Amino acid sequence: MRPFELTAPDSVEAALSEQGTFLAGGTTLVDLMKLNVLTPQRVLDINELPLRGIDTSDGLRFGALERMNDIAHHPGVYPVISSALLQSASQQLRNMASIGGNLMQRTRCGYFRDVNTPCNKRKPGSGCSAITGDNRMHAILGTSDACVATHASDVAVALVALDAQITLASSTGTRTVKLDGFYRVPGETPEVENDLRPGELITEVFVPKLDWARHSTYVKVRDRQSYEFALCSAAVALDIQDGRIVDARVAAGGVATKPWRLAAVEDALRGEPATVRTFEQAASIAADGAKPLSANAFKPSLLKRTVVRALIEGSRA
Amino acid sequence: MTSRIDGPLKVTGQAKYGADNLFPDTLHGYIVLSTVANGEITAMDVTAAKSAPGVVGVYTPFDVLKLDKAVSSVFGETWVPLQTKEVAYYGQPIGVVVAETYEQARDAAMTVEVTYDEKPAVTSFTDGLATAEEPPEIRGGAPNEMSVLADGVESIEDALAASPVVVDNTYFTATQHHTPMEPHSAVARWDAAGLTIYSGNQAAHLQAEELSTALGVDRSQVRCINPFVGGAFGGKARTSAAGFLAAAAARALDRPVKVVMSREQVFTATAGRAATAQRIALGADKDGKLIALRHDSVSSTGMDRSFVEPTSHGTSREWYATKNLHISQKMVPLNIPPVTYMRAPGEAPGSFALESAMDELAIALNMDPIELRLRNNSTAPPGKDLLWSSKHLDECYQIGAMRFGWANRSPHGHEDGDWLVGMGTATAMFPGLRFPATVRATFKADDTAEVGTGGADPGTGLLTVLALVGAESLDIAPDRVTPVLGDSALPPGGLSGGSTATASAGSATMVAAVELIDQLVKLATSAGAPFEGLEVTYEGGRVLADGRSMTFGELLRATGRTELTATGSSAPGEELTKHSFSSFGAQFVEVKVHKLTREARVTRMLGVFDAGRIINEKTARSQLSGGMIWGVSAALHEGIEIEPSGRFANADLAGYLVPVNADIPDIGVHFVQYPDTLHSDLGAKGVGEIGVVGVAAAVANAIHNATGIRVRHIPIRIEDLLDS
Repeated sequence: MRPFELTAPDSVEAALSEQGTFLAGGTTLVDLMKLNVLTPQRVLDINELPLRGIDTSDGLRFGALERMNDIAHHPGVYPVISSALLQSASQQLRNMASIGGNLMQRTRCGYFRDVNTPCNKRKPGSGCSAITGDNRMHAILGTSDACVATHASDVAVALVALDAQITLASSTGTRTVKLDGFYRVPGETPEVENDLRPGELITEVFVPKLDWARHSTYVKVRDRQSYEFALCSAAVALDIQDGRIVDARVAAGGVATKPWRLAAVEDALRGEPATVRTFEQAASIAADGAKPLSANAFKPSLLKRTVVRALIEGSRA
Repeated sequence: MTSRIDGPLKVTGQAKYGADNLFPDTLHGYIVLSTVANGEITAMDVTAAKSAPGVVGVYTPFDVLKLDKAVSSVFGETWVPLQTKEVAYYGQPIGVVVAETYEQARDAAMTVEVTYDEKPAVTSFTDGLATAEEPPEIRGGAPNEMSVLADGVESIEDALAASPVVVDNTYFTATQHHTPMEPHSAVARWDAAGLTIYSGNQAAHLQAEELSTALGVDRSQVRCINPFVGGAFGGKARTSAAGFLAAAAARALDRPVKVVMSREQVFTATAGRAATAQRIALGADKDGKLIALRHDSVSSTGMDRSFVEPTSHGTSREWYATKNLHISQKMVPLNIPPVTYMRAPGEAPGSFALESAMDELAIALNMDPIELRLRNNSTAPPGKDLLWSSKHLDECYQIGAMRFGWANRSPHGHEDGDWLVGMGTATAMFPGLRFPATVRATFKADDTAEVGTGGADPGTGLLTVLALVGAESLDIAPDRVTPVLGDSALPPGGLSGGSTATASAGSATMVAAVELIDQLVKLATSAGAPFEGLEVTYEGGRVLADGRSMTFGELLRATGRTELTATGSSAPGEELTKHSFSSFGAQFVEVKVHKLTREARVTRMLGVFDAGRIINEKTARSQLSGGMIWGVSAALHEGIEIEPSGRFANADLAGYLVPVNADIPDIGVHFVQYPDTLHSDLGAKGVGEIGVVGVAAAVANAIHNATGIRVRHIPIRIEDLLDS
């Protein structure tokens, strides 16, 4: 960790008027600063800003500084969001990490985290170590020759499935964007992970009202039962009426460079009977276009299985 | 059931581990590691580091802290850092930066620029199998290759060919690392008396030997203090780079120096467990009696070739009754960090192979896996005349099967909702060993006693055991006995390794107690003493005669003494010529595997153990359940990913997975208690390592029972179970 200057602005306006790296829960930023991956000269502690509140009266509205556990345990929050949050990280991390920070968390790619190795995301143009290296945990969808790093968030997968929006504030005003469109695939510029502009701060997360999202679930498949990132995950919400699927939301995690909405799977589900056979048929296209790496040839199969399992469990929810 | 005496100190943060010793003026050292796996360092630019804030010293192979060969009586030579420009693995200590604060040392270390003449690194274990080497020496000096053949049988191949049923497969186990909670660390300071060093280690007197030889000072000038050790598991048997560098830098700079490795550094700058490949061929008759057992083992090792993981020697050499046996051991030297002892070295990976193979044989015979093992129960190791001193493995299996509900097991598992459920079993054995140990016992005038020895309690519960055995031997209440460990100024107390500490230190405690009581009696009856000229007895901490009695404290005060001390020693001896010694156990595991997504999770575990007399059931239970968790970890989680460059891809606890609480069910541990007084007067055998033995195989066997998929490598992960 390099020496840095720490300030704690007391208003959103003050925070936006200063230049620096925002610190919320610190569970990504401080971690990466210890590894010298991030070396900000100035850190702005935003924890005292009034970006709080959970409002479930019309859709779900979360202040960006709400902690993961507080949202997860709120009774009005859709199960797919609670479940994704509660299967994330550990109790201690969930008590610290904010929802806004969660959406901004960096990849867990081991080469991004080791300054002694090439990484295009950390050091543009230096090369990608993962493509020929240890890539079992890496992405099979949305990848490029420059980067195959997986997006690490669980709750972002659930939020993308539910068409969530985020509010971004800067010294020149605020704007609202869909979370799905906010994230970028790496392409030739893996260092650019999203549409955040310099000086912008996430102030709020909004999930549009979707009553049938009460029937939703998040399945996370991983190498141990807790405190581990997804090898593959699926967020599912199903609107089933009289045994028929009226509408569906499906997104996958652990397999892609950003939270991966599976619109084609949703299309394949709509209008069909809510049976395991339908789920299997719809899931059979979930991994279309996947490019497995040397150590994760199993992921397309696992993705399809995970989607089937999530659809089955979602149909029971 | 006695709670850990040092438990309250540990859970309230009052126990002072090595790195907790801070003295005024202490400097902090941060180790610099290599970033290539093979080559020579041609230059190290330390200009920026030397001028960085707070830095007082930068040491490298170009500006060296002189260290000689480090040698101990048990381990022979141990590697010392910075004495060569040659790099043999990625993450090798190649420098140390010493500064006023830890942060200053760490930040300055980041600025060191290293130039290498890099050479191609040899890092693939599987590529090296074809050209594996003969190892220099195996535990106990056994030959690398050995056979036991029945009369008239020419070769193991003939014995296998003549066997009606044969299973023949190769099994692989991953490179592992102990990575104990307390990272390798040391605080060293010098004064007129020499060096005092505070560093977690498994045997203070061996560390003192290594440091005195490396530093070129007399053994009497080195004092090693380690009353608390935050986990060791074999990885702290030898002095660490942190220990050597702290000691040498403290001498060079004439100030106390503290060196603590980071978690990532522990993975490469210390030593871990070898990867292994093991081919096992079992030949049996139709009734399941073994006719032939062949076990050919290969282990990875560092380029120093300092250690070989003896998997076939650690298991098949002794485990089953077979008329024909052949074992061999080879090694593949690689540009990887050195390997060393790690909890059940040999037995843990060896039992994965042997006990998986036994399960495969049971299936080939259509026989219950427990029945197969009981039919091959041995009364002595194959080809040896020395019978097991005490063996109740059959009882372990009988009790375990009953408690675990083995009778409910179907040959093809069963379903529970979305999950496939299976049960597996495996035998566990670990040799009954002892080391020479000396214990000092002391009666004090305040009617307490002290029992001390230089051994270590790396979380095993030895400190509590020492108090219990001391109290029993001195016939007083345990709360009147103060146990003392972890100081090289105490008599050498063996080694907390090889599951030997209780039997070694405990036996010596019994000898010391007899001697101390003898001295007390002499004192009581000596001229001018309260019991002069009388025939006295000793009981319950009192000397008795003629209807009178005095406590030992009263007696000491009456004779103007503050204390009375005796030492006692014990070592393995004649018993080794009369019997074979081992602990035994039966492991039971139930797993569930999700029908679709194929995660394997352990749902129930039971271990039934025959380890002689159990001195303290509470800490013994912890030892064994901890070992069993290690087995689950090996089966489903642990494995170093070694890249072609030699870099460890997952050298931290985010990437090197071990189980979390959610992975571990309630664990049953049961003892059949038959004191083995042929092994030692104490009757106790080891419990430190046997808990891990067999568990990985029991998990793999349970997974096979649940899914029909046989996985012959560990860790077993989701992708191994997808195709069905």
